[in-house]
Amino acid sequence: MTVKVEVGAGGVPHNKVMIYGLVGSFIFLYLTYLNTYLQAPYLAFFGGLAAVAALVWGADTIKHLCSYGLGTGVPSAGMIALGSGVLAALFGATTGVLTPIVTIILAAIIGAITGLLANHVVRMDIPAMVSSLTELAIVGAITVLGLATMACGTFEFLGMITGTFTFLGFTVQTYGMSVIGGGVIAVIFMLGAIAIQHAFNACLGPGEKQDRTLMLAAECGFLSMITVAIISFAFIETYAALLAFLVSVIGWIYTYKRYIDLSKRDAYAWLDAKPIIEPKGGA
Amino acid sequence: MTALGAPKQAGGFQPPTAMGIVLSVVLIIVALALSFLLVQTAGLVALIGIIIGGVLIGFGVHFVPVGGAPAAMGQSPGIATGVAMLAAGAGLAGLFAGAWAAPLGLAIAAASGAIGGGLLMAITCTMVNVIYVFGMGIPAASGKVAKDPITGDTFPEYKSQGTEGHGLPFISWVGGVIGGALGGLGGTLIYLELLGIYQAQLPVILGATVEQIAPVAVSLAGIFAIGMFLVNAVLAAYNITGTIEGPHDPKFKRFPRAIIAAAAASAVAGVIALGLFQLLGVF
Repeated sequence: MTVKVEVGAGGVPHNKVMIYGLVGSFIFLYLTYLNTYLQAPYLAFFGGLAAVAALVWGADTIKHLCSYGLGTGVPSAGMIALGSGVLAALFGATTGVLTPIVTIILAAIIGAITGLLANHVVRMDIPAMVSSLTELAIVGAITVLGLATMACGTFEFLGMITGTFTFLGFTVQTYGMSVIGGGVIAVIFMLGAIAIQHAFNACLGPGEKQDRTLMLAAECGFLSMITVAIISFAFIETYAALLAFLVSVIGWIYTYKRYIDLSKRDAYAWLDAKPIIEPKGGA
Repeated sequence: MTALGAPKQAGGFQPPTAMGIVLSVVLIIVALALSFLLVQTAGLVALIGIIIGGVLIGFGVHFVPVGGAPAAMGQSPGIATGVAMLAAGAGLAGLFAGAWAAPLGLAIAAASGAIGGGLLMAITCTMVNVIYVFGMGIPAASGKVAKDPITGDTFPEYKSQGTEGHGLPFISWVGGVIGGALGGLGGTLIYLELLGIYQAQLPVILGATVEQIAPVAVSLAGIFAIGMFLVNAVLAAYNITGTIEGPHDPKFKRFPRAIIAAAAASAVAGVIALGLFQLLGVF
């Protein structure tokens, strides 16, 4: 076996993070459904927020799974999460208003099967394997579904495969100008896969702190949201896309600043040094 | 593995548990039955193709010389990154090459996919050795065998003390190319099977011509092929647990476990991808 990857103790319990992530992303996904009652998909950005909530949960799950020392690198966990998640997300999307529910259930089934195969056939024999891969598949599915919803304003399959373009003043319906037909789904896949594994991959080691890792996960999520918001200008009304872009940028700036603050805090604690206190009222 | 009191391993590796074997067989049979029920004979043939593709990916990953982090410091042989990254690179290159040749028929497209994957690994392995030899000044020496099985070069006199070998011996280079070719072939096979099914189903469902739905069919088949590729590659990576030098490595003998796991995982993922449109418009 390889070197045990060190993780910090303490912080919010994993189950609490899981419940917040699952319930939060579920509610955010259904908030995007309100777009059907609006003139334009102004609420599309909630899809991105669902992805961020899921990514924070996923980073914590990866932290638990990889603390066993898989020996394959942290990115592999992100790849299997999105690989099984994309299947569940796109199958779920075909079920109309039930999409988030079907996606989560199907992802849990796929994840549990891959976990059982990893433990009983490949013989990883890691206690947290089945539960972790189940959670990761759900996280991957919600991430794909959330970001795809953000790009086109709806989580329904027909909305994801149909788009319009204006040619000489005529609006033409086409399958090519859509999230799936245009291949944007592949970009979303990779944006999610990088965002889910980067946080723990970057923060692992001695002195790892949960709040810093999860803040980085949220930062990666907002960074992915910015990209998807720019993509969404091609598919949804300009003002809706602009709103999504602003939300992403504000979220990213906030989480980035918080992450840098937490990094400075941990770097200071690690150095075991004392800061030079400036005397009050200037030197 | 050599620690005192460690459980004795039968024949160098632990065989799959009875539960694992039963689960895999049941999953494959259920998936085959479901594919026949949903898409009749075409579905059954496609799912068998997908399972073969998945098995080729799982088997091919074992050939690729994965060095991991120690290889980056020249302390173990192989390419200095994780299994998932290397497999994704070779598989996606193969998929692009195969997808480009898809209109030319199954045989040419599959061959093109294999060449694409093999070519990427050949270039990667060559450049890795160029950097090792001319950039870092370290010779190629395997730590697992005393003699290269193909060229007959001896290794112990070139191996630095305290390392597991370094560089990329010829046998590892050959393994990398074989692994890339098998991965590219498997990924292309999955893509072609799914593309065939979607090109038959989508025009009926959407009431459009084959040309109109082509972007959607290609994109769906592509993203599902990538997803299944990554699931199979990561399961194979879990089987290897970390680094492998190539086909001469003792870890290579573990491949039957990965084949069972890849077959079961591809069957489950494949039947979901094949049944994608079954619930469309129901809710």
